[in-house]
Amino acid sequence: MKGILKDKKAFLIFLLPALVFYLFSVFYPIAESIRFSFIKWGGLGEKKFVGLQNYIHLFQDKVFYTAFWNNLVYLVIVVGMQILIGLLLAVLLTYLTKGVAFIKTLYYVPCIITAVAVTQLFRSMYATQPEGIINQILKAVGLGQFATSWLTNIKTVLVCVSIPEGWRYTGMYMVIFYAALISLDPEICEAARIDGANGWQTLIRVKLPMIKEVLLLTLTMVLTGALRGFDIPFILTNGGPGNVSELMSTYMYKKAFAGNQFGYGSTIAVFIIAESILVVCVLKVLFTGKDEREERRIQKEQRKMRKLERRSGR
Amino acid sequence: MKKNMMKAFLTTAVMGTVMAAGSMMAMAEEPVTVTWFASRPVDGAIDLAIRQIAQQYSEEHGGNWQFEVITEADRPSYLQKLQTLISGGNMPDIIDIDATPYCQELVDAGMLVDVKEYLNQEGLYDKFEPTALAYQEFTNGTMYTLPLEYHVEMIWYNKEIFAENGLEVPKTMDEWLDVCEKLSEAGITPISVDGADRWPVIRYLAMMPFRETGNDYIISLSEGNASMGDQAGRNGIEFFQKIGQYFQEGFAATDYATAQAMFLDGQSAMYYIGDWEIAAMQEAYKNGTIDYFYMPAVDGALTGANEFCVNSGIGMAFNAETFDEKTKDFVKYVIENYGKIYAGMDQMTPIKSELPEDHEFSDLYLRVREDMGSIGEHFLKPWDCYLDSNTCTVVNDNALLLATGDIDADTFISLVDTALEEYKSGF
Repeated sequence: MKGILKDKKAFLIFLLPALVFYLFSVFYPIAESIRFSFIKWGGLGEKKFVGLQNYIHLFQDKVFYTAFWNNLVYLVIVVGMQILIGLLLAVLLTYLTKGVAFIKTLYYVPCIITAVAVTQLFRSMYATQPEGIINQILKAVGLGQFATSWLTNIKTVLVCVSIPEGWRYTGMYMVIFYAALISLDPEICEAARIDGANGWQTLIRVKLPMIKEVLLLTLTMVLTGALRGFDIPFILTNGGPGNVSELMSTYMYKKAFAGNQFGYGSTIAVFIIAESILVVCVLKVLFTGKDEREERRIQKEQRKMRKLERRSGR
Repeated sequence: MKKNMMKAFLTTAVMGTVMAAGSMMAMAEEPVTVTWFASRPVDGAIDLAIRQIAQQYSEEHGGNWQFEVITEADRPSYLQKLQTLISGGNMPDIIDIDATPYCQELVDAGMLVDVKEYLNQEGLYDKFEPTALAYQEFTNGTMYTLPLEYHVEMIWYNKEIFAENGLEVPKTMDEWLDVCEKLSEAGITPISVDGADRWPVIRYLAMMPFRETGNDYIISLSEGNASMGDQAGRNGIEFFQKIGQYFQEGFAATDYATAQAMFLDGQSAMYYIGDWEIAAMQEAYKNGTIDYFYMPAVDGALTGANEFCVNSGIGMAFNAETFDEKTKDFVKYVIENYGKIYAGMDQMTPIKSELPEDHEFSDLYLRVREDMGSIGEHFLKPWDCYLDSNTCTVVNDNALLLATGDIDADTFISLVDTALEEYKSGF
């Protein structure tokens, strides 16, 4: 076996099925979306090439801008809940000695509930008819004036469709952060403590920088996930009332599949893809510190040198 | 090693091809299967009646005839799936569709059977209620869909609440608004509405334009020859804004079942729904707690008190490519048997037929049936049958905000007009 694995061609053959699958399931739809974004097609008859017309329309479309801003609000809430609350819970969990597994499981449960069930759960909590638990509690504690129809009030609806998504995956990120935190070398934390750092300082200055890679990974997942956020907002309000809780993905779906504008829908999809890639790149740059970049540059140069040496040695 | 791997790969490929070919040959020997992609409630009367007829037909043809029903009752999901299927070149043999602009596109592409022509050829045209067929027609008089239901829509009201507040059944739209105002002042929710499904809300928007112009206004609007801001449209919006304030709080997120339950539990005084909910209304009607009235009139308007929303529901359309002699024969069989079976399920049938004698009909059923015999020439056809899909979405979404007062009339007009312009410009 060792002999085969040394052969680069064998490597490629083993990688091929996964690669082909990836190309067909991920790359091909993206390429098709890009192709469709230059086309006008209502689902029937001839597809008409329209050049950049869909893109021009996109940047003139008021609803698209609404959806874009809504998506940013959605993103802030979802990221805030999943990363901050997830991290907070993970940190608290590290202080626990008993029942960690039980609590971890308990907090993880929302992740395994399907989106439709989560939606139903929140719909009944937000409801006015029959009165949901949120309004009931508000009235019980004498804050009845704040009771409202959460999903139809244009001031609250966007926040209300964002919260379930944040709530749903907080437990998952908690588990990831917890795993990262407990894998840290306790000696380092102890050294910090001996040097006079208090708990807060140890967390901010020592522990978090050490799980930077995990933070980057989770942020990437959360951000791209939030940019593509669809199921819960779609089922909960379908972007409504009006377009008040419209997200880019729900708008894309509406245009392509309800409005029969497959070309324009694809244009929005391409925008979402481009935006997600951009966000990942920005994150990468932000998370790569100056020292690290310098270090990488040096490593690269060293590799080059070694190569040159080898060649000249031959 | 490499050679062995290649051999294994080739063997798998060849085996796969042989197996695929084998299964295709097996399929060719199977009996004929006709697929109906339906948008009807599962185990609802239509679903049950058609299945029963198909079963009967299949038995008469020695089981070589199979009828497969794929149901998606949720209308928006249904339409999206249908459009996606058709876009992908997989149109089922029989589909459900209204005479919408999208349906016209299918007709223009030669994909649907001319049902009017078929009914005339088979001498079946006169077997239907004329209004039920007229509802299925496009504005140019052609017809590509077959009605399976026949309905009137009415406003159900709680007699007890009306009596307690000294209210009479409104005869005009103004009186209706007065009734709502009085109820509202008495702290009662005047009307419960299913806003989650959008269409019940849009009915209220369509009422005044229908009273003033019949369906002419919405036809001109959908064809881009009128603006939402024209007088008829503005009057519609004005009435809609007025009545919208009497809907229950949070109506935009209330679903069908909840809105209906609110009314039946006495939490709201009125509820707009068609005769298809007779079964749900039966008990309260029998107890004398509820009754109904039809859309109130407007003095001097084009349409009268006996003209309101009458519909024959979403129609059945046939794929022109697969509509062969066998399917024709089946459809004829359905039309000949459907009326009686469907009426026997306490439903109003679009096919003229005597009521089955072995079934006892409720007073409510018989009363509604009698009402249907005296409806006028005009009938309100829902706006979603006329508007293109995109404009329809815009109207549906934004009407909710209009009713709650979150957007004003001018904003709504501009949104609808922009969507119509887009459609007209072919975007």
